[in-house]
Amino acid sequence: MIVVEGLKVSYRWRQEPVLKGVDGRFDGKSLILGPNGSGKTTLFRAVCGLTRVVEGRVLVDGRNVEEIYAEPGVLSVNFPEAYSLLSVKVRDLITLYSDLAGSDPSKAYEILKDLGITRELLERRKLHELSAGQRKAVCTAMALSMGARHVLLDEPFEQLDPARKGRLIGHLDRYDGIILLNTHETWLMRNLPDWDAYFMFEGRMYGPAKVEELLNVRLRMGKRARAVLCMEVSGRTVSLVKGRRGTLLTSLESLDRVYELALEA
Amino acid sequence: MTKYFTLSVKSMLTHPELLFWSIVFIEFWVVMWAYVFGAYVPKVEEAVRMYTAQAYGSLLTLSFSATAVGITESFLHSSRSIKFVTKYTRLSPSRFMAEHTASSMLVLSTVAAVMYASIAGVFAHKFGMYTPPTNPLQLTAVTALGCLFMYAISAFLSLAVVVLRAPRSARFVSYIPLILGFLAYGALWLDFKAAAYVSPFNCILALCIYYYSGVKPTTGAFVMGGGAEMDMGLTLLSLVCWVAALMALNVLLLRKMRGVGVEEIRVV
Repeated sequence: MIVVEGLKVSYRWRQEPVLKGVDGRFDGKSLILGPNGSGKTTLFRAVCGLTRVVEGRVLVDGRNVEEIYAEPGVLSVNFPEAYSLLSVKVRDLITLYSDLAGSDPSKAYEILKDLGITRELLERRKLHELSAGQRKAVCTAMALSMGARHVLLDEPFEQLDPARKGRLIGHLDRYDGIILLNTHETWLMRNLPDWDAYFMFEGRMYGPAKVEELLNVRLRMGKRARAVLCMEVSGRTVSLVKGRRGTLLTSLESLDRVYELALEA
Repeated sequence: MTKYFTLSVKSMLTHPELLFWSIVFIEFWVVMWAYVFGAYVPKVEEAVRMYTAQAYGSLLTLSFSATAVGITESFLHSSRSIKFVTKYTRLSPSRFMAEHTASSMLVLSTVAAVMYASIAGVFAHKFGMYTPPTNPLQLTAVTALGCLFMYAISAFLSLAVVVLRAPRSARFVSYIPLILGFLAYGALWLDFKAAAYVSPFNCILALCIYYYSGVKPTTGAFVMGGGAEMDMGLTLLSLVCWVAALMALNVLLLRKMRGVGVEEIRVV
């Protein structure tokens, strides 16, 4: 289980925090939905212990993440920066990380085959020589193949075509462990109804709610009675409500559109 | 050892920039030292040995400094990965440091072997005689100590940039070993006096000359024939202290660092 308590993160001294006191308990498969720049990636960096936390703490299986060292199988992530240890061909990189994590590299190759990435390409190219989409797919495959109890996936569907998105969803569904997946796209919700969902706006997190419960909710401006969730966006309150009035959440292609709706209102 | 060791060696020994600046560029100076600067060296064994010792010391220091720039840059670019693997794989911070040190030492030793072989070959061709080192074992040992120092300073500079969160200075900091290496090279003309004991680069240079030629070098101005004769015990002690202090700091800093994004370095 991952627990975050009052997490504040700032990249520079005296700068406004990117995360402004985030709390959450993640013990299953969870989606973190939020527009670009809302702090989703920073939250993942803080959970991994890859960025400085100004206030608050992160507990992974009850242990402060700061105290975790040399423990394979605890956590993996699909940040390309986590897999830039050496400037070698991707095939060597997969071999290296499998060796370090004590996992089976064939799992990574199986996922990559499903995502349309050939072994030949992996033998020819280094990670930074791949396209952004290929790089993300390789890192996601490596994160899922490390056999970790907790997997953090940062926008894993970016630049994948619909068929490959479907195959990746299959791998996520079958994964035996805790997954935190962040995205700004809402289409994913229809495919993962059993997951928990959290929302992130402007460094604050809201939730959880069951994804299934959110499939028919609509966005309405202002604080509404019996709202499933209320969130602060650009100084305005946005409520997620059941009913016929408002904009259907799943009709938004990207959560970036919530800002437009808040400004239009 | 994990696969990190072998792949790290492979990665460094196939890095074109590192190979060019550490070996190809310095080879140009080997030729210059033999055929241009060495034009007036008398073809007497003792004179040739002393001249070869100065060439080996000076060019090895430069070559090591160039390699150190490559090690610093690769360390900086992989700082977040280092943090990740030391937390979530079996490569603990101390094990990482041991394997990174071993792989860097192997690369630096390879560079040293190439330097020695090329200086020996080119100088033998120029002077018509091969002048082997008077103390080959001690020369090998001090070359290995020089490798360790170069690794230690590279890792220290990279870790300092990351821990102090100063990615803007990354490019400048990565060139510090080369700047200091060139300063030490200046000992050919300048007398560093007591500073020759303080600068680890000058210590490597002096120790190489001593164990190659068997003659105690001066604190500088080798070409001008100036400077005071160095105390080799003190020189060796100074270098050992530098290595020990930097390695201890590296272990501490490795635990403190969180990595710096490659994008932050590239932006600069």
